[in-house]
Amino acid sequence: MLSIGQIRTRECRGWTRRELLRAGMLSAAGVSLADLLRCEAAESLGQEAGDNARKAPAKSVILLWLWGGPSHLDSFDMKPHAPVQYRGPYSPIASSVPGLDVCELLPQLARRADRYSIIRSLRGTSNDHGIAGTIGLTGDTAGAASLSGQVLPGALKPTHGSVVSKILGFSPTMPRFLTLGGHLHQGKRAIKGEGGAALGAMHDPFRLDYDPEKGIQIPHLQLLDGLSPSGIDSRERLLGAVDQLARRVDQSADIVRLDQYYQQAFSLLTKTGAREVFDVQREPEAVRRRYGKFRFGQCCLLARRLVESGARFVQVNWSSHVEPVEDGGDGGWDMHDRHFQQYQDRHAWMLDQAASALLDDLAERGRLSDTVVVAVGEFGRTPKINNKSGRDHWEHCYSGLVAGGGLRAGQVIGASDRLGEHPITRAFTAADLFSTVLGQMGITTTTLTTNGLLPQGSVIEELV
Amino acid sequence: MRTLSTGAGITVVADAASVGSDAGSIRHESTCFDAPVLIATVILMLVGGSMVSNSQAAEPELIRLTTDGHLKQRPCWSPDGQQVVFARHVGDTIFLFLLDAKTGKEERLTSQTFPEYDAVFSPDGKELLLSFDKLSPNQGDIDVSRIALTDRMLVPQATTQKALSHEESPCWSSDGKRFAFTSTRHGNQELYVADIKGGEWLRLSEDPAIDAHPAWSPDGRTIAFSTDRWGDLEIALIEPDGSNLRRLTDSRGLDDYPAWSPDGRHVAFTSNRDGNLEIYVQSLDGPALNVTRNPSIDNFPAWTPNGRIGFVSNRDDGFDLYTVEWRAGSSK
Repeated sequence: MLSIGQIRTRECRGWTRRELLRAGMLSAAGVSLADLLRCEAAESLGQEAGDNARKAPAKSVILLWLWGGPSHLDSFDMKPHAPVQYRGPYSPIASSVPGLDVCELLPQLARRADRYSIIRSLRGTSNDHGIAGTIGLTGDTAGAASLSGQVLPGALKPTHGSVVSKILGFSPTMPRFLTLGGHLHQGKRAIKGEGGAALGAMHDPFRLDYDPEKGIQIPHLQLLDGLSPSGIDSRERLLGAVDQLARRVDQSADIVRLDQYYQQAFSLLTKTGAREVFDVQREPEAVRRRYGKFRFGQCCLLARRLVESGARFVQVNWSSHVEPVEDGGDGGWDMHDRHFQQYQDRHAWMLDQAASALLDDLAERGRLSDTVVVAVGEFGRTPKINNKSGRDHWEHCYSGLVAGGGLRAGQVIGASDRLGEHPITRAFTAADLFSTVLGQMGITTTTLTTNGLLPQGSVIEELV
Repeated sequence: MRTLSTGAGITVVADAASVGSDAGSIRHESTCFDAPVLIATVILMLVGGSMVSNSQAAEPELIRLTTDGHLKQRPCWSPDGQQVVFARHVGDTIFLFLLDAKTGKEERLTSQTFPEYDAVFSPDGKELLLSFDKLSPNQGDIDVSRIALTDRMLVPQATTQKALSHEESPCWSSDGKRFAFTSTRHGNQELYVADIKGGEWLRLSEDPAIDAHPAWSPDGRTIAFSTDRWGDLEIALIEPDGSNLRRLTDSRGLDDYPAWSPDGRHVAFTSNRDGNLEIYVQSLDGPALNVTRNPSIDNFPAWTPNGRIGFVSNRDDGFDLYTVEWRAGSSK
């Protein structure tokens, strides 16, 4: 850990982070960031939460956020006997678990079905990406913004990763919550519910991304002009950049948010070992190839490296925009037209390869048992194929994949009707799903209420 | 040292020790060429482990045409074999590129900023048809356009006005006077034929299933396409007037992207009937033969004028263009 000057006091009380920024970092007054972070950690992780977390079967979560809404009928809930206008052009194939058939375009996941469960009766309440996205990421509609700009009543809830960050506390070596990918959008409208909300910016995700052309991207670092991970090997250079930035923003309302950036960026980037966590090129070539050298594949690999280094919730965004490239986006799952073309040529094999590699890699390294992997979008897609050879939004029934972390695997939970339009068994919500996931991490209803958070959803008993 | 001679007249001399396999990967290190091909790299299929096909048959010789690894789709060779056009995905773009087969140099086909793909050369090699995606905010609208290699001006060829409809996957008739394509104009993706000079479209198919990727036979008498009307995706044949619809393939799994051989006796297509995507070739009255036999993804077949089969594969890392030699009876 880089220490900026000589420590003058180890007493945290009485110092605000803003004061530290000004008096400590900006003028190099001499407080080690490590000292600050140790104080943060000690304050934030209560005794009960700490005990629960230590005893919990799951230590980390990797959320593969399939933004835009994958079709359940073309992935994990196929309807081969439905009319041609519904079933689509693909066949189901048998998996390693009898009765758990998946799409023929997911052959690698089919061979690993004993490692995950499929929930076929997820149900939402909105077919608007903005609202459904907020529901998926926070468990609630409060504060969600629709495509038209309407904001739903209520205070925005923190996202699941932020809850984990809050409950499990700040880590001096690795953020608890990281998001791999940019801010989520539908069209040009940003989605609400990606961060800490009332928990504060301290519990917003630390963002990273992988660009096949440029390698690892760290948006927070863009605040530090001229610095890159590889360039932060000079204490003087770092201090100079921080001073420059601080002078620029000292009068800004963003100072509190920058405080968080400082802390996380400092703690991560001033240690060679921490920086190396981000460098997927340190992985053996065979491992990188196994995940696939496309953005989502390498982000899955990076997620594994992060949880091994102490991250507790890593969200891998499939894309930033819901729209595919053909609709002006960056490859999302919102395929109203050319649905089958895009799914067959791109999305299916990318998901199949990357998710399969992640499950295998975690298992081989002994980490699948304490890492929950969730692959889900904000809703499904219309069972009836539309007039543009696509499928539209469908919140009434969709599927999700859940693996690891001590959750039961090799099973199908729930069922939909013959057309995949509605659940015919108990319907589960995104809140139920993440209540279950967080429960595996020792974050129970009691833990949440103790920390002033409103529990969302009920545990899916079939999974635990 | 090992010397291999390929069907394209390229001989590669390579140190056998440098081209072994490790953990299923393929190394390809060529040391000299006796033909002026700069980019093409012969993949020496000296592989072991998981790369050995179940049949234990020797894997066919490949020529690799690109090395950037970006996702590519639907290559098409010019009639003289001097150029290859293909679509490349980089970031959030899909653009068409022309590859000079001799020099390996590439150039964008157009200067447009909208997605473009599925380009095919006219029989005289002077023009191309392509799918062009006119983006409006958050919504694509795809037309078939025509472009001449001389002026590179895009000319709308098949569009639907006053409604959002996708016209795409064009292919030329062998006389260059007509083209086939798909459209969602009438509420489902169907096959159509139209004159290059314009006029009314002739609708070839009318079925609630999805019909896709037409390919016109060299003799002009048949159009192959893929359809899920019989269950999963199969290759079907139909005559250019919409008559005599029949089935070419009948396999469990996906059969797609049909491409006629230059002599019109075979159809290459993508199939996952063996569990992953491979290139198969089938005569009009014979069994389908697996040409690629590799656990990677092999997709988007296209014939070269001299009878090799081009395709896109991720066998060496990312997705690149390859050709493979094929003769009737050479594959299992």
